[in-house]
Amino acid sequence: MPDAMSDALAPLRPAEPLQAIAGFAALLREHGLKVGVAEQQAFVRAALALPVQRCAQVGAAWRAIACHDARSWRQWPELFDRYWMPHRSSGRVRVSGQTRPARDIRQMVQELQQSLADSGASPPGRQALDTALQSAPEAEGAAESDAAPRAQGGASRTEALHDRSLSQWLPQDLRLLDQLAERIARRLRVRLTRRWHDHPRGARLDVRRTLRASLKTGGIPITPAWRRPRRERPQVFILVDVSRSMETHAQLFLRIARAFVQAVDARVFVFHTRLAEVTPLLQRDSANVQEKINAVTAGFGGGTRIATSLADFHGVHARAQLKRSAQVWLLSDGFDADEPQRLAEELGAVRRRGARIIWFHPADQRPASQAVQAALPLVQRFVRLNSLRDLAQAADHLQ
Amino acid sequence: MSDGAGLRERLHRAGYIADEALATTLWLADELQRPLLIEGDAGVGKTALAIAHASALGRRLVRLQCHEGLDLAQAAYEWNYGRQLLAIRLHETSTERVAEADLFARDYLLERPLLTALSSEQPCVLLIDEVDRADEAFEAFLLEVLADWQITVPELGTIQARHVPAVLLTSNGTRELSDALRRRCLYHWLDYPTLAREIAIVRATLPHAENALVEQAVAFVQRLRQEDLGKTPGVAETLDWVRALHRLGHAALPDDPHALTHTLACLLKTREDRFQLGPDRVRQLLEGRNRQASAGVAVKAASPA
Repeated sequence: MPDAMSDALAPLRPAEPLQAIAGFAALLREHGLKVGVAEQQAFVRAALALPVQRCAQVGAAWRAIACHDARSWRQWPELFDRYWMPHRSSGRVRVSGQTRPARDIRQMVQELQQSLADSGASPPGRQALDTALQSAPEAEGAAESDAAPRAQGGASRTEALHDRSLSQWLPQDLRLLDQLAERIARRLRVRLTRRWHDHPRGARLDVRRTLRASLKTGGIPITPAWRRPRRERPQVFILVDVSRSMETHAQLFLRIARAFVQAVDARVFVFHTRLAEVTPLLQRDSANVQEKINAVTAGFGGGTRIATSLADFHGVHARAQLKRSAQVWLLSDGFDADEPQRLAEELGAVRRRGARIIWFHPADQRPASQAVQAALPLVQRFVRLNSLRDLAQAADHLQ
Repeated sequence: MSDGAGLRERLHRAGYIADEALATTLWLADELQRPLLIEGDAGVGKTALAIAHASALGRRLVRLQCHEGLDLAQAAYEWNYGRQLLAIRLHETSTERVAEADLFARDYLLERPLLTALSSEQPCVLLIDEVDRADEAFEAFLLEVLADWQITVPELGTIQARHVPAVLLTSNGTRELSDALRRRCLYHWLDYPTLAREIAIVRATLPHAENALVEQAVAFVQRLRQEDLGKTPGVAETLDWVRALHRLGHAALPDDPHALTHTLACLLKTREDRFQLGPDRVRQLLEGRNRQASAGVAVKAASPA
């Protein structure tokens, strides 16, 4: 095989290394890496600057140029191998049509440096090279394709995934969930803090900080400090029902809650007969979140006490943070073992603190239990939540 | 100009064991005169890399520690108001008048790290540590400095860099950095070192510790990193721990987990992690067993299904 490869490389013209690099850049762009003309030029400069005997390191150098975050950093080895060493990854499925059979990075670098030497251009000849690069067909569209990232994955495919129940979730569903959470987070209305409501514009003198700052100028307030209007995101509390009746849904709800912990710093509680905060457990991405939550709730007895849990929530756990801008998201099917009127009382107590209540329920119909009927006027909105599609639809209503 | 291999050698002599890819990246950053953004978990040696890089190049290290609310006055320059006021007072006693231009001269300018790095007579290494802690306004300002290597002081004009400093930015991912800054920089993700590299690092730093102790302790830490910990121990923690064990007179890792419990404070920095690693779990890690049916948690997860 290697012989066939070098045969194919033999008739390489000097311009080909540049095309190979441009093709590689196109592959990277296709996979969401931000590689524009500047990066492509840097590729060439790096390949030229490396001594030939160390050109195996060109991959490491290019990685530093092309990757801009941890995600692309992890993607890199596979993309690099796929393009430059297709024989190595021949066993895998090839998605892109970009892969051509014969490419050897060592040879490419040598060709590139050779072509530079042949053309008699001394190191400043880089400029000629850059223009050659820019006129390469694939480099032309670099800037545009950068500005408008291509859709990744066919629409029909994601469509089908929307309805998938949690047990069949794939990594891309999780990514989708994270994106949804981000979208909802952006929609959550950023509100002025209370003291700025009467005169929301302009800055106000911050006397305390001005005086403090004047110390270094001998007590003369040369640089006054100003207060600016402060806007805050609502604090989101997510209460997840993990009782027996919710067993099949709780996992989805916890996943969703986890996405919001990362997107909006939500605080998450689980309850059935008692209430426990699980935010710290959700802050880390770990496979055994469910195990840990099982461990937390292991001692809980049977039945669901929503009202008691709510009382614990607003009386103890969220006492100081439940304010006008807060939002309480209750994820439950509404079957309550407490006295029916208590749910309305406790929700009323939460509502009196100014917080808004949104109830997510797994069934198609809103919960019909007596307790929930009594509490209807206190809940701002009932939202069905059984799959990611429901969450996507809810995203338009939440604010 | 030497290449990556030479730089790696010099980094080694400065006490930093870098792999080839990292050395190449550092060299490339120097070659292209681009800043290098280093990300990675806490304790993998991001800051140490900058310090070693400075000493490997024989340059001065200028360090800017970022924090919330960092502003120009702390990062770039500040007028020395005290001296200006003093100058005015002094001139009040004498007959000659003080011109405004005299007061806004370089003498009255306090150089903060960014300006120090740009106006340095000798080329230097500029470390912008934990850039994700600074706010977005500062990041935008940084773009000008890193793109054009200049700082504009309205009263004085633009100060151009004498030598382009080697810039290293580190980030812990507290906040997502802007795309503009990311694209301006080369990028390197620093991972936890492999077993062999970590042993080499510990040996280089603690040459007196016994080989058996170093190897076993590093293997233990590597296994510990597979655990689901709140704060995964970094290289600095490994060094601390081996140092502690060495001081306590251990020639090898003791088999008894209770003997280790007290020293584990060097590795485990949160209460949950301490709680999670009871003597039983430590014994399992010592024996090199993997996490299987370790605690009641896994059993409980199996039962509802």
